[in-house]
Amino acid sequence: MENNSKNILEIKNLVKHFPVYTRGILLKKQTDEVHAIDDVSINIDRGENVGLVGESGCGKTTLGKTLMLLEEPDSGQILYNGIDVVEAFRTKNNEKIHEIRHGIQMVFQNPYTSLDPRMTIYDILSEPFAIHKHVEKKEWKNRVYELLKMVNLEEYHAERYPHEFSGGQRQRIAIARALAVDPKLIVADEPVSSLDVSIRAQILNLLTKLQQKKGLSYLYISHDLSSVRQITNRVAVMYLGKIVETANTDEVFSKPLNPYTQALLAAIPIPDPEKKRTKIILSGEVPSATNPPRGCRFNPRCTYVTDLCKEKEPALREITPRHLSACHYSEKFL
Amino acid sequence: MENKGPENILNVDQERLEKRREANQWAVAWRRFKRNKAGLAGLFIVLFFVFIAITSPWLSPYPQRSYQTLYEGEAGQPPSLKHPFGTSRSGLDIYSEVLHGTLGDLYVGVGATIIAVLIGLAVGSIAGYSRGRLSDILLMISQIFYTIPLLPLILLAARIFLILVAQGFGLTLILILLGVFGWPTIAFIVRGEILRVRELEYIQASRALGAGRGRIILRHVIPNILTPIIVTATLMIAGNILTEVVISYLGFGDVNTSTWGLTIQEGYTYIRTEWWTTVFPGLATLFAVLGFNLLGDGLSDAINPRLRD
Amino acid sequence: MEGLLEIKGLKTYFFTEAGVVKAVDGIDFQVGKDESVGLVGESGSGKTVTGLSVFRIVPQPGKIISGSIIFEGEDLLTKSEEEMRRIRGRKISMTFQDPTTSLDPLYTVGDQLAEVIKEHQRELSKKEAMEKATKLIEMVGISEPRIRVNEYPHELSGGMKQRIAIARALASGPSLLFADEPTTNLDVTVQAQVLELIKDLREKQKMSLVMITHDMGIVAEMTQRVQVLYAGMVAEVGETHSLFKRPQHPYTEALLQAVPRIDKRKELRVIPGNIPNLINPPTGCRFHPRCPYAKEICKEKVPQLELTDKGHLSACHLWRDLSLSGA
Repeated sequence: MENNSKNILEIKNLVKHFPVYTRGILLKKQTDEVHAIDDVSINIDRGENVGLVGESGCGKTTLGKTLMLLEEPDSGQILYNGIDVVEAFRTKNNEKIHEIRHGIQMVFQNPYTSLDPRMTIYDILSEPFAIHKHVEKKEWKNRVYELLKMVNLEEYHAERYPHEFSGGQRQRIAIARALAVDPKLIVADEPVSSLDVSIRAQILNLLTKLQQKKGLSYLYISHDLSSVRQITNRVAVMYLGKIVETANTDEVFSKPLNPYTQALLAAIPIPDPEKKRTKIILSGEVPSATNPPRGCRFNPRCTYVTDLCKEKEPALREITPRHLSACHYSEKFL
Repeated sequence: MENKGPENILNVDQERLEKRREANQWAVAWRRFKRNKAGLAGLFIVLFFVFIAITSPWLSPYPQRSYQTLYEGEAGQPPSLKHPFGTSRSGLDIYSEVLHGTLGDLYVGVGATIIAVLIGLAVGSIAGYSRGRLSDILLMISQIFYTIPLLPLILLAARIFLILVAQGFGLTLILILLGVFGWPTIAFIVRGEILRVRELEYIQASRALGAGRGRIILRHVIPNILTPIIVTATLMIAGNILTEVVISYLGFGDVNTSTWGLTIQEGYTYIRTEWWTTVFPGLATLFAVLGFNLLGDGLSDAINPRLRD
Repeated sequence: MEGLLEIKGLKTYFFTEAGVVKAVDGIDFQVGKDESVGLVGESGSGKTVTGLSVFRIVPQPGKIISGSIIFEGEDLLTKSEEEMRRIRGRKISMTFQDPTTSLDPLYTVGDQLAEVIKEHQRELSKKEAMEKATKLIEMVGISEPRIRVNEYPHELSGGMKQRIAIARALASGPSLLFADEPTTNLDVTVQAQVLELIKDLREKQKMSLVMITHDMGIVAEMTQRVQVLYAGMVAEVGETHSLFKRPQHPYTEALLQAVPRIDKRKELRVIPGNIPNLINPPTGCRFHPRCPYAKEICKEKVPQLELTDKGHLSACHLWRDLSLSGA
């Protein structure tokens, strides 16, 4: 099924909760729920790099995993290239599942645990071929070498084991593995957080280069806003399972319309001693997603909180063209 | 101004290629193992016993359970040139008995362990992989089996068997029982390891690539949990040998096949005057158990090196 | 500035199975009274090991080989273990990166604070120590201190745990605090809170601070002077403003240019290659295999720290000829 629309990925009203159990004498029962993702909608266009940012507990990693069907959503729709992903898995439609697995791939945060330590690089990179059979056996070697070259590694690296490589190199291998199926969308979950500062630039530049060369789309999940600013086209900010603001990157960073985004940006130190920023020091901690506050989820920590905020949850709405924010008072920040 | 681009990195890498040693996990573990003297000693002892077990039919002067020396008029003799380990008053050549017993005990020790590992792997994998009820039930079953006291159970079973079938336990039956009640240890380890490994990112990456369950278990999970299983299995062999010796010594063993325990049992009553009947199979037991323990320890260290002080 | 801590020629090596890891290979480091200094570097730079060396708590198989660590006029390396114990936590304190593992999960937060307080003020009764502990909890900005004092670490959030760790470090009013990556494991908004707290307390207690970090943003915000480490040796030392604007070592320049910012997009500079192997580090200047300006001398001779025209100390043979740009 060919989809000629601009969207490579459409997520509609996705919900994912995790049950919390307490142990009884013999069995355990569910006592609570973690609202990891609560009614999240987001689109990614072809060739677009969308950043997903937020602090711990906001749900961004869960969103990435649910997208890959590593977790099954409770409700909502995920459309990849027009294909209903959740449905395809539920009905075990192998043809569609095949297309999905070919189209969306993931790069994980920890380069030390995302590669099987018992396999050689050759095995790791050729595994996708073995699973999907889209490359003939005799072509495997060449393709593996091609993939290595694409991420600036050498052919002789193929016989080695992951532990012989540095963090940055391992991450490059992980990226090569994701590329092995020729995906259209890559979900990158904190790909540079575990890496040294001087190595991050290598990976970030590599991701950008690959995007240009192959017309890839990215969902770039990160808590490191500086790198998000650097490489994304559009940003979505999450807080406690909901998207609170989204717009194109430059706009969100220079003119945030949501108090949480403002606080988030103000909290980040800038590597320039001359730039003194206005501090918005939030009170309290990031609450747990088990019992989100009533009304606007950010209200206990918001400097502009009013009674309305405590009562009514603000919807994510368009404030200026293509700039959405979930706050009753976003217009005030224009 | 020289520009140090990627080419220079290439040169450094070329050097590494030359000096590189085999980096695969088994090679690394072997290198480490070689440095552990105790482990090596254990390995040699074990290999020695295996050799004896295999060659015992040819190496021993007398067939197993043979009381021939009685007819030769040489029963009850202390160690001599002809009978290096002496003879029992019932006519056994202890040297032969020890050799045959090696086969018997290794048969039980290794056989029981294999059964325990197979069952343990199966139960542990399912318990580790499934969520919810099934996992809990399997865990409960494992715990029940684990707490059943093995020795009294076997002795009881042997007695009942004797009464019912008028026949003693065969070695094979003992082996099966040991395996069937020994699996929980392995199952717990397997389950624990799978729980640990299951959420690791390289497993998720394989799932994300579209790998099926079977492929993930065979290619990714099992190779990564093998090591603690190997170590435990090695130690289990030692334990099973010891248990067999106790069973036979108590008189519940197989009277038709030579084992060290059986020989000890025969000679125990006369240990003061006929010490060789008990001591030599006893020493054999000691060394076999020691060997397997040292080997297991050495393997454990080689695979998971402890932080040195 | 009056000197509080002066480290000269510190060498700390790790004697491992694979070889001798020269984690700290000749580092000089100074901290003045009431001064805030950044100790910056990536993994393998030796920044954490330097901190551990000052406290003489370098884990096995590490060993301090040579050098001197002069604190308040006395060389810490000549002191006995007993004497060191009286200094640790009292005159010099340290906070660690992961507050979860640096607090004992078996004891309440109050107990752990009281323990430190009583260690250095033996004359206090248990009750008095707990009172002091409660006050400390309040001082680090945790609400409802009377309730918190009886809670266990796992009942607290990451930010709160780190604050307790800071409270514990400051319990006896040290004159010098080593903060090793205090905010790396924390959420962004919590990080801002903790940094504010550290700044605040430093002023109130007139304490010197050594900020060990890899985050150039934190350095810019929190320090007056910066020391850049690479592969166990000092690359550059300079006053923060000056170092950021006009670095005088190629590694400093590369580091500043490789770091993305939230206030603008820029060309991210890639430093080719990897952090060197500390068992067999490169000859001469350790940065030379990755340095775009490297010349023959860089491969042969280990550069010494030299005073530059801008008042920095630079360990580069070529600083005079290079015109480097900052962030």
